Amino acid sequence: MQILVCLKQILDPEVPPRDFQIDRGRRAAIQGSANLVTNIFCENALETALQLRERSEGEISALSIGPASAEDVLRKAIALKVDHACLVEQEVAGSGSHSAITARLLAAAIRKLGTFDLILLGREAGDWGAGQTGGLLAEELGLPFVGFVDHIEAADGGVVLRRQTDTGWEKVRAELPLVATITNSEENVPRIPKTRDIMKSHRKPLTTWKPSDLGLSEEDVSSAADALEVVDLYIPEKTGECEFIQGESIEEKANAFAARIAAVVQRAGV
Amino acid sequence: MILAAANNAAGNAADATRQVLWNISHAWVMYALLVPTMLIFGRGVYRQVKKWRAGRPVQRFDRPGERIKRVVRHVLLQQATLRDRFAGAYHFLLFWGMITLTIATTVVLIHHDLGLPVMQGRFYLYFQSLFVDCLGLLAMVGVAMLAVRRWIVRPKKLVPTRESTGLLVLLFVILGTGFLLEGWRIAATNDPWGRWSPVGSIVAAGSLAVANVETLKSAHLFTWWFHLLIVFGLIAWAPYTKLLHVLTAPLNIYTANLDAGGGTLKTIDFDNAPSFGINSLEQFTWKDLLDLDACTECGRCTSVCPANTVGKQLSPRDLILDMQHLLDRSDLASVSGPADADDDYEPAFPVIGSTAALSPEALWQCTSCAACVEACPVSIEQLPKIIDLRRFEVMENAKFPQTLQDAVGSLEERGHPFKGTQFSRVDWAQALHTQGFDVPTIGDVQDPEVLLWAGCGGALVERNQKSTQALAQLLSKAGVKYAILGREETCTGDPARRIGNEFLFETLAQQNIETFRTNNIRTVVTSCPHCFNTFRNEYPRLGGEFEVMHHTTFLAKLIGEGRLTINAEATEKITFHDPCYLGRHNGITEPPRELLQRSARAPLIEMAQHGQQSFCCGGGGGMSFVDEAPDQRVNQERARQALATDAETVAVGCPFCTTMLEDGINAVKGDREMAVKDIAEIIWESVSGGVDSG
Ligand code: SF4
Ligand code: SF4
Repeated sequence: MQILVCLKQILDPEVPPRDFQIDRGRRAAIQGSANLVTNIFCENALETALQLRERSEGEISALSIGPASAEDVLRKAIALKVDHACLVEQEVAGSGSHSAITARLLAAAIRKLGTFDLILLGREAGDWGAGQTGGLLAEELGLPFVGFVDHIEAADGGVVLRRQTDTGWEKVRAELPLVATITNSEENVPRIPKTRDIMKSHRKPLTTWKPSDLGLSEEDVSSAADALEVVDLYIPEKTGECEFIQGESIEEKANAFAARIAAVVQRAGV
Repeated sequence: MILAAANNAAGNAADATRQVLWNISHAWVMYALLVPTMLIFGRGVYRQVKKWRAGRPVQRFDRPGERIKRVVRHVLLQQATLRDRFAGAYHFLLFWGMITLTIATTVVLIHHDLGLPVMQGRFYLYFQSLFVDCLGLLAMVGVAMLAVRRWIVRPKKLVPTRESTGLLVLLFVILGTGFLLEGWRIAATNDPWGRWSPVGSIVAAGSLAVANVETLKSAHLFTWWFHLLIVFGLIAWAPYTKLLHVLTAPLNIYTANLDAGGGTLKTIDFDNAPSFGINSLEQFTWKDLLDLDACTECGRCTSVCPANTVGKQLSPRDLILDMQHLLDRSDLASVSGPADADDDYEPAFPVIGSTAALSPEALWQCTSCAACVEACPVSIEQLPKIIDLRRFEVMENAKFPQTLQDAVGSLEERGHPFKGTQFSRVDWAQALHTQGFDVPTIGDVQDPEVLLWAGCGGALVERNQKSTQALAQLLSKAGVKYAILGREETCTGDPARRIGNEFLFETLAQQNIETFRTNNIRTVVTSCPHCFNTFRNEYPRLGGEFEVMHHTTFLAKLIGEGRLTINAEATEKITFHDPCYLGRHNGITEPPRELLQRSARAPLIEMAQHGQQSFCCGGGGGMSFVDEAPDQRVNQERARQALATDAETVAVGCPFCTTMLEDGINAVKGDREMAVKDIAEIIWESVSGGVDSG
């Protein structure tokens, strides 16, 4: 089975709240003192692929779109022994907010890389949390799509996918090829690389392309850009108010308290 | 018989001696038996030596002066052994008793077989008779004490084996028959100098009361050969038993690691090492292998191990002994040289998981407190071996507890081990800023006197920010020209190293050393003993040479120089918890006490286990990132020990100890109130006197 895993580098979601900064004008987050890390759901996707490869033969390719720094994400994947890695180097506008552009670039890169049975992505990225890229990529490639998958088993030439739903799990039998987004579960906790493999990962080959290498015209990209516009970006301000409930007796206080809560809830329109 | 007959009437002491082999014929049989005895003995010793030699090289014969001092202290004076009073006492008696008896036998040999008449005159009377007799008696007392301990007291740390029972019985028989032989000789030869051997003459008198001279002569003859056989038997058997420690212990003590605790971990040559970490016996150094054979099975290490104390599986004694047994069964010499640095490193004699004591579970229970190393009477280094094995699990197998993986992951991504912290490295300083107190960052200060190193524990854990703030305010109050690195700080690498990720440790360390170099930093003050230990003992090897002081030492210095004055002494009763990485690993136990004595009105209260023998808070070795079973928490055990004193406050000097002890005390205190405060907080209260807050 030929598996392709898409990996995204994002700003560390664990950056301490006081350090998180945005550029409201550019409608983008600023790196500031934050680190860059691999999106956790992408790591779950890679782990799912590695386990699948252990159970049934196959090869894994890792693909990322992002600035030159995204090479780190791919080196880590190489340390975990993916077979091929490819970076499409692009300073993504709006720090990768645009799922439609990303999906179009991914699709073009995937076509250029070869044919794949299974294309896995994280269910969403920890920066924007849009959760759109997987579905849009399936659309671009004209492939079926299954979302929120946490386990994949090869079966009779196809696969059985287990997906999480609001009420429990669903098992889906599907033909290949297909695109799936992966969510986290106890089974796909990302493994860590061996030290020797980390050391070696820097000597392994890595394909690097520019968007222009993908055979897409300006227009192809801009037409995708039309699909979405970020209108505003801001950090919500948290405020607190403290109020003391007055009253003679405990009943009086309780009644006043209940009335206040009702008023607040009403005002908030809950 | 070369010797003059001994049974002339008592006269001139200068003529005193005794006749050797007076009742024995066919003495050649003895010499004939000595040959196989020595061959079996030699084979036993050689077998072990060959195994040690299969280990990797390590320099342990440098600094002979220091080494000889160690041998005097721990072999001749038995200082470490004597720390356990009862066991130490009988061991001391047995040790000196057996040495004296061996010397006495050698004297006979020189006198009789070499024909040098040394065994005569006053030397014969004072040493060979009186002294040897008394020491023999004391050895007998030692054997009795040993028996009482083994069969009556039965401390938990002793695991009785048939071998140890056998050895005990043999010692008893050898000493007992020795006295009988002496007594019967005195009686049968009517030795005029007999009364110089008090035990011998009592035996003689007693025997003459129940038997005649002829009977004693035959009993002597029979017992003499019996005694001889038992002695030879013991000599031949010794290298195959724990008695081997008679040879290995002094050697092991001589070749002990002379560096401070932190300097004991091995370095790894990442370009050439066939495996990162160890999971096969031949990967150890010869000294590690010698360690295994030097173990006397005394169990002291396990009895002081905090993990074992709270009921966990880890037992440093069993860990060493299980490896010793593995070594017994393995033919290390058969491994042909070091393997190539390739992927498929196959351990020839796998260690991890081979027994319960060597299971990964046990390895991940060690707090790296080094209590075991400190307690071992024969200088065995259990802790570095645990780290060697952990390294293999982490770097070669990439398998270790998830919470530790999270800590390591966080170190890799963010340069600190506190995954999920809400704080940045400068939040504590910014909080002070809002109160009108500015903490200078390195760029703001020209040529600072000291760098204040907050450390991850001091900056990123809410509770400890207060201690770090107190320390910064103290420095400023004392007029110290200091600065912090702020966001440029990154973990020293201590947790990575103890968890076993040496690669990550080196990366982090090099980063810091570079930062120090660019900022021209020469003196560092830190409140974290882990950082302190790493800077002091582990950075120099990587090229990071600078002075580092724990904040307690530095504050003591500031007060000593009159730069800080205590305005209001603390009125509460205080006990001090020694952080392992300050006390045991670095021998610093006095400065913090001195500091507390100066700032508190009441005398310091000591917990039963303190100083070098202190009990760990449970937070070292990466263990503060591990969820312990609720009924097996080391911090709660230490909290109980603190609560058992009548102190109102536990003073600490380590951010990890602070949080571990606070959690532990809150969990077990019941109605009792007890505060946990960093020494900096206590001193700040005393210096500011609650009035001027800087
Ligand atoms: S270092 Fe401490 S926790 Fe580890 S084995 Fe030794 S005594 Fe036990
Ligand atoms: S390792 Fe040392 S302390 Fe532990 S049982 Fe052996 S000799 Fe005793």
